[in-house]
Amino acid sequence: MSNVIKYILIAYLIFIGGAMMAQAYEVTQVRDGATIRGKVTFSGTPPGPLQFEVEKNPEVCGGQRSLVKVEVQNELLKGAVVILEGVESGKPFAKQEFQGDAPGKGTFQYAEGEKLDLQVHTKNCNFGPFTGVLTPDEAVRFNNHDSIKHTLHTFVSLDSGGSILRTLHNRDIRPDGAFDRTFGSDKLKESRVVRITCNRHDFMQNWLYVVKNPYFAISDVHGHFMIEDIPPGHYIMRAWHPVLGLQERDVRLMPNTAFVANFAFFRIREKAMTSRKLSFQSEEAAKKEVSSSLD
Amino acid sequence: MDCGITIILMGIRNACLGLLISALTIAGSGTIAGAALLDGMMGSFEERMGKRAQAKGERLIIGDFYSAERPDSHGPIGAMGDHTHNEGEFMFTYKYMRMFMEGNRDGTKNLSKSDVLNDFFVTPTEMTTQMHMFSFMYGLNQTVTLTAMIPYVLKSMDHVTRTGVKFTTKSSGFGDIRLGSLVRLYAFETPSIGSHRFHFNAAVGLPTGDIKATGATPLGVTRLPYPMQLGSGTVDLLPGLTYAGGLNDVSWGLQAIGTIRLGDNNQGYALGDEYEVSAYGAYRWASWISNSLRFKWKDWANYEGRDPNISRTNPMGVPLVPTAETNRRGGERLDILAGINILFPEVMELENHLGLEIGVPIYQNLDGPQLESDYTFFVGWQIIN
Repeated sequence: MSNVIKYILIAYLIFIGGAMMAQAYEVTQVRDGATIRGKVTFSGTPPGPLQFEVEKNPEVCGGQRSLVKVEVQNELLKGAVVILEGVESGKPFAKQEFQGDAPGKGTFQYAEGEKLDLQVHTKNCNFGPFTGVLTPDEAVRFNNHDSIKHTLHTFVSLDSGGSILRTLHNRDIRPDGAFDRTFGSDKLKESRVVRITCNRHDFMQNWLYVVKNPYFAISDVHGHFMIEDIPPGHYIMRAWHPVLGLQERDVRLMPNTAFVANFAFFRIREKAMTSRKLSFQSEEAAKKEVSSSLD
Repeated sequence: MDCGITIILMGIRNACLGLLISALTIAGSGTIAGAALLDGMMGSFEERMGKRAQAKGERLIIGDFYSAERPDSHGPIGAMGDHTHNEGEFMFTYKYMRMFMEGNRDGTKNLSKSDVLNDFFVTPTEMTTQMHMFSFMYGLNQTVTLTAMIPYVLKSMDHVTRTGVKFTTKSSGFGDIRLGSLVRLYAFETPSIGSHRFHFNAAVGLPTGDIKATGATPLGVTRLPYPMQLGSGTVDLLPGLTYAGGLNDVSWGLQAIGTIRLGDNNQGYALGDEYEVSAYGAYRWASWISNSLRFKWKDWANYEGRDPNISRTNPMGVPLVPTAETNRRGGERLDILAGINILFPEVMELENHLGLEIGVPIYQNLDGPQLESDYTFFVGWQIIN
């Protein structure tokens, strides 16, 4: 082998290795971890549920279905994805399961360990909850527990609002069938949002945010979220909702501290707008009801 | 003897070339993964389109989407390779084609039987070509759809001689098998500008059709003239480009396809190259039915070389029949075709499409005397899983 080829090979291995190292999340023991908790609110009148007449397979899906994209109770927003970016090592991924809105029974299952290992269990014409997360370069298992086929169509969003979408996958899932699909970082590039739909049932729509570590949470029906065991450090915190948009803030976490971070979205006229106002305060300060808006 | 060996070697070479090209097409298809060929190379265009869509509050979708579930998601049934399939999707098609030709023409001028019989001992009076086509399409991945088509051909030609004797020759059998790929190039869609999809057609015609068909004539059992043969005898390349669009209940398409003959066949001749352009529009009246109107332009060249076993003159040295002349095979024609596509309810998760199309020529210019086309009819059933 000539020297030139050797050098090229070594350079290639260094490049590939470097790229892999730069992207890999490492599971380690977290000492003096911090906690962030908070709530996500929405002010204004949320858009009403979309109503769909079911044309295909009403015997399984039902004659009518609705899709609630912005789910709000007492101004508390469900389904906002809260992410801490820039954490390169820390706790393992946690086992979690989120179910879609009735009458759908689909679930997003996340495994415990070094990988997110998302499993989408499609049931009753529903992939799962309206929002979720996925990790790049890791196979996502799409299961179909219905007795009818669904046509999975996934897109990567080229912007956070999902107004420019590029197809990633497009294929049928047979009745009671399953397959794996990977959302490669070469396809995702800088994009953070993935949309999944069913070409046969237009009410089946879900949005996934691309995460690279287990430090994420999805606000519950009370708008609450909590992220624990965060290694002290300086990170970017984001709150994202597919209709309402993205908010972000730098956060600096000290050891053994608990912080409250609240996100507020609001809606102006018919177009969804995001608030630029973000409150971020220590739990102690929150107790004293002292607002410490950083904006 | 040497000539025979040369012909056999040429046949082997053509068959090997066909298989090689087929294999490369399929192997090449397998290595293309993931996305439409031009995906990711249209940055500035996408940016501009994206901004426009955003300004209208719309969503721009880019990529290799395809939804079969409308009657006009497939082009008119007479068109070939008009649509692609999603990964893992399989389509079986049975298509019947009937073409009827009656009367002769030279250039754009009609010729009577006596006009032809002035120069030839025999004239063809009418011809019916029927084709049963069995085709398969399979979405190999998100980029490539593999295609295969096996035709069964039946031909019948009526003749009359100078002495008033009428006779009919017939031939039937499998025609040239076609293997190919449809390669998605690019697609984009917004609600206000509709969907726009582009794909590349690449196919190879293999010389499986008989080119030595014989039949009973007043001269005895002889090799039938060129139009009665069932295949080209050559490996043919069929490159093409297809565009299809749609907006609400209207859809349209444009397709250009060529047929390029590689060398001569083992009987010493080659059919002329062909070029075909189709433009169509369709309207969906309901979720299950659409109508189409298509214009098809076809240009085909005269043959090169000749088959020494096809008689050109009768025993008295009089030119026998125009169909035995390789320089009277070319022409150009514009057809107008009306079609109907019906989407049936699914049966056992299988999607069923029925298509009918009938067309007549509105312009014909033939290197004649040559039989002129009167009508073409297609009916096809497509099953998708």
